[in-house]
Amino acid sequence: MDNKTIIISCAGMGTRLGAGVPKAIVDVAGKPIIIRQLECLDNYSDIRVVVGFQADKVIETVQKYRKDVMFCFNNDFRTTGTAASFSKGLINAKEYAVSLDGDLLVHPEDLKSFLAKDEELIGGCTPTTDNPVLMSLNEKNQVVEFSREHGELEWTGLAQIKTNRLVPADKHVYMMLEPLMPINVMKIRTKEIDTMNDYDNAVAWINNGYRD
Amino acid sequence: MSDYIFLFDLDSTITKQEILPTISEKIGKQKEMRELTEATMNGIMPFKLSFLERVKILSDISVNEVNDLVSEIPLNTEIANFIRNNYERCYVVTGNLDVWISGLMKKLNMDNHFFCSKAIVENDKISKVVSVLDKNLTVQQFVQPFVAVGDGDNDADMALQAKIAIGYGGVRHIAPSLMQNIDYAFVNDKRCVDFLNSLL
Repeated sequence: MDNKTIIISCAGMGTRLGAGVPKAIVDVAGKPIIIRQLECLDNYSDIRVVVGFQADKVIETVQKYRKDVMFCFNNDFRTTGTAASFSKGLINAKEYAVSLDGDLLVHPEDLKSFLAKDEELIGGCTPTTDNPVLMSLNEKNQVVEFSREHGELEWTGLAQIKTNRLVPADKHVYMMLEPLMPINVMKIRTKEIDTMNDYDNAVAWINNGYRD
Repeated sequence: MSDYIFLFDLDSTITKQEILPTISEKIGKQKEMRELTEATMNGIMPFKLSFLERVKILSDISVNEVNDLVSEIPLNTEIANFIRNNYERCYVVTGNLDVWISGLMKKLNMDNHFFCSKAIVENDKISKVVSVLDKNLTVQQFVQPFVAVGDGDNDADMALQAKIAIGYGGVRHIAPSLMQNIDYAFVNDKRCVDFLNSLL
Protein backbone atom coordinates (compact mmCIF):
# COMPACT_ATOMS: atom_id res chain seq x y z
CA MET A 1 0.00 0.00 0.00
CA ASP A 2 1.34 3.42 -0.95
CA ASN A 3 0.01 5.07 2.21
CA LYS A 4 3.34 6.20 3.62
CA THR A 5 5.38 9.38 3.51
CA ILE A 6 9.02 8.55 4.06
CA ILE A 7 11.04 11.39 5.55
CA ILE A 8 14.81 10.98 5.42
CA SER A 9 16.66 13.47 7.61
CA CYS A 10 19.97 14.66 6.15
CA ALA A 11 20.08 18.21 7.47
CA GLY A 12 22.74 17.82 10.15
CA MET A 13 26.47 18.14 9.76
CA GLY A 14 27.40 14.64 10.95
CA THR A 15 31.04 15.41 10.32
CA ARG A 16 32.58 13.22 13.02
CA LEU A 17 33.91 11.03 10.23
CA GLY A 18 35.97 13.97 9.07
CA ALA A 19 34.70 13.67 5.51
CA GLY A 20 33.45 17.28 5.52
CA VAL A 21 30.12 16.34 3.96
CA PRO A 22 26.83 15.12 5.45
CA LYS A 23 27.25 11.49 6.47
CA ALA A 24 24.30 10.42 4.30
CA ILE A 25 26.27 11.13 1.13
CA VAL A 26 29.52 9.52 2.24
CA ASP A 27 30.44 6.61 0.00
CA VAL A 28 30.32 3.29 1.83
CA ALA A 29 31.44 0.25 -0.20
CA GLY A 30 30.75 1.97 -3.52
CA LYS A 31 27.55 3.92 -2.80
CA PRO A 32 26.40 6.71 -0.50
CA ILE A 33 24.31 5.60 2.49
CA ILE A 34 21.24 7.52 1.29
CA ILE A 35 21.35 5.77 -2.09
CA ARG A 36 21.38 2.41 -0.30
CA GLN A 37 18.24 3.56 1.53
CA LEU A 38 16.54 4.86 -1.64
CA GLU A 39 17.14 1.52 -3.34
CA CYS A 40 14.81 -0.03 -0.74
CA LEU A 41 12.13 2.61 -1.36
CA ASP A 42 11.40 2.21 -5.09
CA ASN A 43 7.81 1.16 -4.35
CA TYR A 44 7.00 4.32 -2.41
CA SER A 45 5.92 7.47 -4.22
CA ASP A 46 6.20 10.02 -1.43
CA ILE A 47 9.87 10.33 -0.51
CA ARG A 48 11.01 13.49 1.24
CA VAL A 49 14.62 14.32 2.03
CA VAL A 50 15.24 16.98 4.64
CA VAL A 51 18.34 19.02 3.83
CA GLY A 52 20.27 21.82 5.54
CA PHE A 53 24.06 21.55 5.75
CA GLN A 54 25.43 21.41 2.18
CA ALA A 55 21.90 21.05 0.81
CA ASP A 56 23.14 21.37 -2.78
CA LYS A 57 25.40 18.32 -2.44
CA VAL A 58 22.64 16.18 -0.93
CA ILE A 59 20.18 17.22 -3.66
CA GLU A 60 22.75 16.45 -6.35
CA THR A 61 23.43 12.98 -4.94
CA VAL A 62 19.75 12.09 -4.49
CA GLN A 63 18.62 13.29 -7.91
CA LYS A 64 21.17 11.10 -9.65
CA TYR A 65 19.18 8.13 -8.35
CA ARG A 66 15.67 9.55 -8.30
CA LYS A 67 14.16 12.88 -9.34
CA ASP A 68 10.62 12.68 -7.94
CA VAL A 69 11.73 13.54 -4.43
CA MET A 70 10.48 16.43 -2.33
CA PHE A 71 13.34 18.26 -0.62
CA CYS A 72 12.43 19.93 2.66
CA PHE A 73 14.70 22.59 4.12
CA ASN A 74 15.73 22.80 7.74
CA ASN A 75 17.95 25.86 7.51
CA ASP A 76 18.08 25.97 11.34
CA PHE A 77 19.98 22.67 11.43
CA ARG A 78 22.72 24.14 13.62
CA THR A 79 20.36 24.85 16.50
CA THR A 80 17.65 22.21 16.13
CA GLY A 81 17.46 18.42 16.38
CA THR A 82 16.12 15.67 14.15
CA ALA A 83 12.56 16.40 15.34
CA ALA A 84 12.69 19.78 13.56
CA SER A 85 13.76 18.07 10.35
CA PHE A 86 11.13 15.34 10.65
CA SER A 87 8.46 17.96 11.43
CA LYS A 88 9.43 20.00 8.37
CA GLY A 89 8.68 16.96 6.23
CA LEU A 90 5.25 16.33 7.75
CA ILE A 91 3.28 18.88 5.69
CA ASN A 92 0.33 17.16 3.96
CA ALA A 93 1.85 13.72 4.64
CA LYS A 94 0.08 10.45 3.89
CA GLU A 95 -1.59 8.19 6.50
CA TYR A 96 1.75 7.06 7.99
CA ALA A 97 4.88 9.19 8.37
CA VAL A 98 8.16 7.30 8.50
CA SER A 99 11.20 8.86 10.15
CA LEU A 100 14.53 7.63 8.83
CA ASP A 101 17.95 9.14 9.58
CA GLY A 102 19.93 9.62 6.39
CA ASP A 103 23.07 8.28 8.02
CA LEU A 104 21.54 5.01 9.25
CA LEU A 105 23.10 2.07 7.50
CA VAL A 106 20.41 -0.58 7.77
CA HIS A 107 20.11 -4.11 6.41
CA PRO A 108 18.00 -3.71 3.23
CA GLU A 109 15.78 -6.70 4.08
CA ASP A 110 15.05 -5.27 7.51
CA LEU A 111 14.13 -1.86 6.13
CA LYS A 112 11.83 -3.42 3.57
CA SER A 113 10.07 -5.70 6.07
CA PHE A 114 9.72 -2.79 8.52
CA LEU A 115 7.98 -0.70 5.87
CA ALA A 116 5.80 -3.61 4.76
CA LYS A 117 4.00 -3.48 8.13
CA ASP A 118 0.79 -1.52 8.21
CA GLU A 119 0.98 -0.46 11.83
CA GLU A 120 2.77 1.97 14.08
CA LEU A 121 6.26 0.65 14.66
CA ILE A 122 9.67 1.61 16.05
CA GLY A 123 12.98 0.18 14.83
CA GLY A 124 15.40 -0.95 17.55
CA CYS A 125 18.84 -2.57 17.45
CA THR A 126 21.26 -4.24 19.84
CA PRO A 127 22.91 -1.41 21.82
CA THR A 128 26.35 -0.70 20.36
CA THR A 129 27.08 3.05 20.34
CA ASP A 130 28.55 5.28 23.04
CA ASN A 131 25.83 7.07 24.97
CA PRO A 132 22.84 5.46 23.19
CA VAL A 133 19.17 6.30 23.69
CA LEU A 134 17.75 3.02 25.00
CA MET A 135 14.23 1.63 24.85
CA SER A 136 12.50 -0.44 27.53
CA LEU A 137 9.94 -2.96 26.36
CA ASN A 138 6.86 -4.47 28.00
CA GLU A 139 5.80 -8.13 27.82
CA LYS A 140 4.03 -7.46 24.47
CA ASN A 141 7.30 -6.31 22.89
CA GLN A 142 6.20 -2.68 22.89
CA VAL A 143 8.33 0.35 23.67
CA VAL A 144 7.21 1.90 26.95
CA GLU A 145 10.15 4.15 27.81
CA PHE A 146 13.15 5.93 26.29
CA SER A 147 16.14 6.44 28.56
CA ARG A 148 19.89 7.09 28.61
CA GLU A 149 20.32 4.68 31.55
CA HIS A 150 18.50 1.44 30.86
CA GLY A 151 16.65 -0.54 28.21
CA GLU A 152 16.98 -3.66 26.08
CA LEU A 153 17.23 -2.08 22.64
CA GLU A 154 18.85 1.00 21.16
CA TRP A 155 16.74 3.66 19.41
CA THR A 156 17.74 3.85 15.72
CA GLY A 157 15.73 6.87 14.59
CA LEU A 158 13.45 4.64 12.51
CA ALA A 159 9.75 4.97 13.31
CA GLN A 160 6.48 4.64 11.44
CA ILE A 161 3.64 6.58 13.04
CA LYS A 162 0.13 7.72 12.04
CA THR A 163 0.60 11.26 10.77
CA ASN A 164 -2.46 12.57 12.59
CA ARG A 165 -0.99 11.53 15.97
CA LEU A 166 2.24 13.49 15.54
CA VAL A 167 2.81 16.94 16.99
CA PRO A 168 5.66 18.92 15.38
CA ALA A 169 8.65 19.59 17.66
CA ASP A 170 12.29 20.65 17.39
CA LYS A 171 14.43 18.47 19.67
CA HIS A 172 14.63 14.67 19.20
CA VAL A 173 12.24 12.48 17.23
CA TYR A 174 11.94 9.98 20.12
CA MET A 175 10.53 12.80 22.27
CA MET A 176 7.68 13.14 19.76
CA LEU A 177 6.94 9.43 20.32
CA GLU A 178 6.96 9.50 24.12
CA PRO A 179 3.33 10.66 24.49
CA LEU A 180 2.20 7.99 21.98
CA MET A 181 3.61 4.90 23.75
CA PRO A 182 3.28 1.95 23.96
CA ILE A 183 4.35 1.34 20.34
CA ASN A 184 5.34 -2.02 18.81
CA VAL A 185 9.02 -2.57 18.12
CA MET A 186 10.88 -4.45 15.39
CA LYS A 187 14.50 -5.42 15.78
CA ILE A 188 16.60 -4.32 12.81
CA ARG A 189 20.23 -4.87 11.88
CA THR A 190 22.18 -1.61 11.54
CA LYS A 191 25.70 -0.25 11.56
CA GLU A 192 26.54 3.08 13.13
CA ILE A 193 29.40 4.93 11.43
CA ASP A 194 31.03 7.43 13.77
CA THR A 195 34.73 6.60 13.48
CA MET A 196 37.07 5.33 10.78
CA ASN A 197 37.03 1.97 12.54
CA ASP A 198 33.20 1.89 12.27
CA TYR A 199 33.56 2.83 8.63
CA ASP A 200 35.89 -0.09 7.87
CA ASN A 201 33.54 -2.45 9.73
CA ALA A 202 30.56 -1.17 7.72
CA VAL A 203 32.37 -1.67 4.42
CA ALA A 204 33.29 -5.24 5.45
CA TRP A 205 29.68 -5.88 6.57
CA ILE A 206 28.26 -4.82 3.18
CA ASN A 207 30.92 -6.64 1.18
CA ASN A 208 30.16 -9.79 3.16
CA GLY A 209 26.47 -9.68 2.15
CA TYR A 210 25.40 -7.79 5.32
CA ARG A 211 26.89 -10.46 7.60
CA ASP A 212 29.43 -9.90 10.37
CA MET B 1 -9.62 25.65 0.31
CA SER B 2 -6.61 27.76 1.32
CA ASP B 3 -6.21 31.52 0.76
CA TYR B 4 -2.87 31.11 -0.97
CA ILE B 5 -1.97 33.05 -4.08
CA PHE B 6 0.75 31.41 -6.19
CA LEU B 7 3.61 33.53 -7.55
CA PHE B 8 5.90 32.12 -10.21
CA ASP B 9 9.22 33.23 -11.55
CA LEU B 10 9.22 32.83 -15.35
CA ASP B 11 12.70 31.96 -16.57
CA SER B 12 13.67 28.30 -16.00
CA THR B 13 10.79 27.91 -13.55
CA ILE B 14 7.89 28.00 -16.02
CA THR B 15 10.09 27.75 -19.10
CA LYS B 16 12.21 24.71 -19.80
CA GLN B 17 14.92 26.89 -21.32
CA GLU B 18 16.29 30.24 -20.27
CA ILE B 19 14.61 32.91 -22.37
CA LEU B 20 17.30 35.51 -23.07
CA PRO B 21 20.11 32.99 -23.76
CA THR B 22 17.78 31.13 -26.14
CA ILE B 23 17.07 34.31 -28.10
CA SER B 24 20.70 35.38 -28.13
CA GLU B 25 21.60 32.02 -29.63
CA LYS B 26 19.47 32.89 -32.64
CA ILE B 27 21.65 35.91 -33.34
CA GLY B 28 24.99 34.34 -32.37
CA LYS B 29 25.47 36.33 -29.17
CA GLN B 30 25.10 33.50 -26.70
CA LYS B 31 28.58 33.90 -25.19
CA GLU B 32 28.06 37.49 -23.97
CA MET B 33 24.58 36.59 -22.80
CA ARG B 34 25.72 33.45 -20.97
CA GLU B 35 28.33 35.34 -18.98
CA LEU B 36 25.86 38.00 -17.87
CA THR B 37 23.15 35.44 -17.08
CA GLU B 38 25.46 33.34 -14.90
CA ALA B 39 26.65 36.42 -13.00
CA THR B 40 23.04 37.45 -12.38
CA MET B 41 21.77 34.03 -11.35
CA ASN B 42 24.51 33.75 -8.79
CA GLY B 43 23.89 37.26 -7.51
CA ILE B 44 27.38 38.52 -8.42
CA MET B 45 25.91 41.26 -10.59
CA PRO B 46 22.83 43.26 -9.52
CA PHE B 47 19.80 42.20 -11.53
CA LYS B 48 18.94 45.72 -12.73
CA LEU B 49 22.38 46.45 -14.17
CA SER B 50 22.75 43.05 -15.78
CA PHE B 51 19.25 43.18 -17.23
CA LEU B 52 19.89 46.50 -18.95
CA GLU B 53 23.11 45.08 -20.39
CA ARG B 54 21.32 42.00 -21.60
CA VAL B 55 18.58 44.05 -23.27
CA LYS B 56 21.31 45.98 -25.11
CA ILE B 57 22.67 42.74 -26.54
CA LEU B 58 19.24 41.97 -27.97
CA SER B 59 18.28 45.50 -29.00
CA ASP B 60 18.94 44.92 -32.70
CA ILE B 61 16.29 42.23 -33.09
CA SER B 62 12.70 42.97 -33.99
CA VAL B 63 10.49 43.07 -30.90
CA ASN B 64 7.80 41.10 -32.69
CA GLU B 65 10.29 38.43 -33.60
CA VAL B 66 11.46 38.13 -29.99
CA ASN B 67 7.87 37.98 -28.81
CA ASP B 68 7.19 35.12 -31.24
CA LEU B 69 10.36 33.27 -30.18
CA VAL B 70 9.46 33.62 -26.50
CA SER B 71 5.94 32.32 -27.18
CA GLU B 72 7.44 29.17 -28.65
CA ILE B 73 9.90 28.45 -25.82
CA PRO B 74 9.27 24.96 -24.38
CA LEU B 75 7.56 25.00 -21.00
CA ASN B 76 7.62 22.75 -17.96
CA THR B 77 4.28 21.23 -18.92
CA GLU B 78 3.00 20.38 -15.44
CA ILE B 79 3.79 23.81 -14.02
CA ALA B 80 2.29 25.56 -17.07
CA ASN B 81 -0.89 23.47 -16.73
CA PHE B 82 -1.16 24.23 -13.02
CA ILE B 83 -1.04 27.94 -13.89
CA ARG B 84 -3.66 27.60 -16.64
CA ASN B 85 -5.95 25.51 -14.43
CA ASN B 86 -5.70 27.88 -11.48
CA TYR B 87 -5.17 31.14 -13.34
CA GLU B 88 -7.29 33.19 -10.94
CA ARG B 89 -4.88 32.47 -8.08
CA CYS B 90 -1.61 32.57 -10.05
CA TYR B 91 0.69 35.46 -11.00
CA VAL B 92 3.95 35.57 -12.89
CA VAL B 93 6.63 37.81 -11.37
CA THR B 94 9.50 38.31 -13.80
CA GLY B 95 12.22 40.79 -14.63
CA ASN B 96 11.62 40.17 -18.32
CA LEU B 97 10.11 42.86 -20.59
CA ASP B 98 6.39 43.28 -21.21
CA VAL B 99 6.94 43.70 -24.94
CA TRP B 100 8.81 40.40 -25.18
CA ILE B 101 6.62 38.16 -23.03
CA SER B 102 3.06 39.29 -23.79
CA GLY B 103 2.49 36.41 -26.24
CA LEU B 104 3.71 33.82 -23.76
CA MET B 105 1.58 35.33 -21.00
CA LYS B 106 -1.48 35.03 -23.21
CA LYS B 107 -0.63 31.39 -23.86
CA LEU B 108 -0.53 30.79 -20.10
CA ASN B 109 -3.85 32.60 -19.47
CA MET B 110 -1.81 35.18 -17.55
CA ASP B 111 -2.73 38.22 -19.69
CA ASN B 112 -3.56 40.39 -16.70
CA HIS B 113 -1.72 38.33 -14.14
CA PHE B 114 1.92 39.29 -14.52
CA PHE B 115 4.39 41.77 -13.06
CA CYS B 116 7.38 42.60 -15.23
CA SER B 117 9.83 45.21 -16.53
CA LYS B 118 8.59 47.72 -19.14
CA ALA B 119 9.96 49.15 -22.35
CA ILE B 120 9.04 51.61 -25.11
CA VAL B 121 9.14 50.31 -28.68
CA GLU B 122 9.79 52.41 -31.79
CA ASN B 123 9.78 50.91 -35.26
CA ASP B 124 9.65 47.42 -33.81
CA LYS B 125 12.89 47.99 -31.80
CA ILE B 126 13.31 48.73 -28.13
CA SER B 127 14.08 52.42 -27.76
CA LYS B 128 14.02 52.70 -23.97
CA VAL B 129 13.68 50.49 -20.92
CA VAL B 130 11.21 52.33 -18.70
CA SER B 131 11.43 50.23 -15.54
CA VAL B 132 13.16 47.12 -14.26
CA LEU B 133 11.06 45.04 -11.94
CA ASP B 134 12.16 44.67 -8.32
CA LYS B 135 10.62 41.41 -7.12
CA ASN B 136 11.08 42.36 -3.50
CA LEU B 137 9.04 45.56 -3.86
CA THR B 138 6.47 43.83 -6.02
CA VAL B 139 5.64 41.06 -3.58
CA GLN B 140 5.38 43.52 -0.70
CA GLN B 141 2.18 44.76 -2.33
CA PHE B 142 0.40 41.44 -1.90
CA VAL B 143 -2.28 41.39 0.77
CA GLN B 144 -3.01 37.66 0.54
CA PRO B 145 -0.55 35.06 1.83
CA PHE B 146 1.41 33.62 -1.04
CA VAL B 147 3.39 30.62 -2.16
CA ALA B 148 6.47 31.57 -4.23
CA VAL B 149 8.19 29.35 -6.79
CA GLY B 150 11.54 30.32 -8.31
CA ASP B 151 15.12 29.35 -8.98
CA GLY B 152 17.36 32.43 -9.12
CA ASP B 153 19.12 34.85 -6.84
CA ASN B 154 16.51 37.53 -7.55
CA ASP B 155 13.80 35.21 -6.20
CA ALA B 156 15.39 35.11 -2.73
CA ASP B 157 13.54 38.16 -1.35
CA MET B 158 10.25 36.91 -2.77
CA ALA B 159 10.93 33.59 -1.03
CA LEU B 160 11.70 35.30 2.25
CA GLN B 161 8.30 37.00 2.25
CA ALA B 162 6.37 33.94 1.13
CA LYS B 163 4.30 31.84 3.49
CA ILE B 164 5.69 28.82 1.66
CA ALA B 165 8.79 29.22 -0.53
CA ILE B 166 9.66 26.65 -3.15
CA GLY B 167 12.83 26.28 -5.19
CA TYR B 168 12.55 24.67 -8.60
CA GLY B 169 15.79 23.05 -9.75
CA GLY B 170 14.52 21.08 -12.74
CA VAL B 171 16.17 23.33 -15.33
CA ARG B 172 19.17 24.74 -13.51
CA HIS B 173 20.63 24.50 -10.02
CA ILE B 174 18.78 26.59 -7.46
CA ALA B 175 20.81 29.73 -6.62
CA PRO B 176 22.72 29.44 -3.31
CA SER B 177 21.08 32.59 -1.87
CA LEU B 178 17.63 31.19 -2.64
CA MET B 179 18.51 27.89 -0.92
CA GLN B 180 18.86 29.85 2.34
CA ASN B 181 15.27 31.06 2.12
CA ILE B 182 13.19 28.18 0.84
CA ASP B 183 11.04 25.64 2.62
CA TYR B 184 10.87 23.01 -0.12
CA ALA B 185 12.58 22.21 -3.41
CA PHE B 186 11.86 19.99 -6.38
CA VAL B 187 13.76 18.92 -9.46
CA ASN B 188 10.77 17.18 -11.06
CA ASP B 189 7.89 19.38 -12.22
CA LYS B 190 5.18 16.77 -11.69
CA ARG B 191 6.25 16.26 -8.08
CA CYS B 192 6.32 20.03 -7.63
CA VAL B 193 2.79 20.36 -8.99
CA ASP B 194 1.49 17.49 -6.81
CA PHE B 195 2.65 19.54 -3.85
CA LEU B 196 1.18 22.80 -5.22
CA ASN B 197 -2.15 21.00 -5.69
CA SER B 198 -2.07 19.93 -2.04
CA LEU B 199 -1.78 23.64 -1.09
CA LEU B 200 -4.82 24.82 -3.08
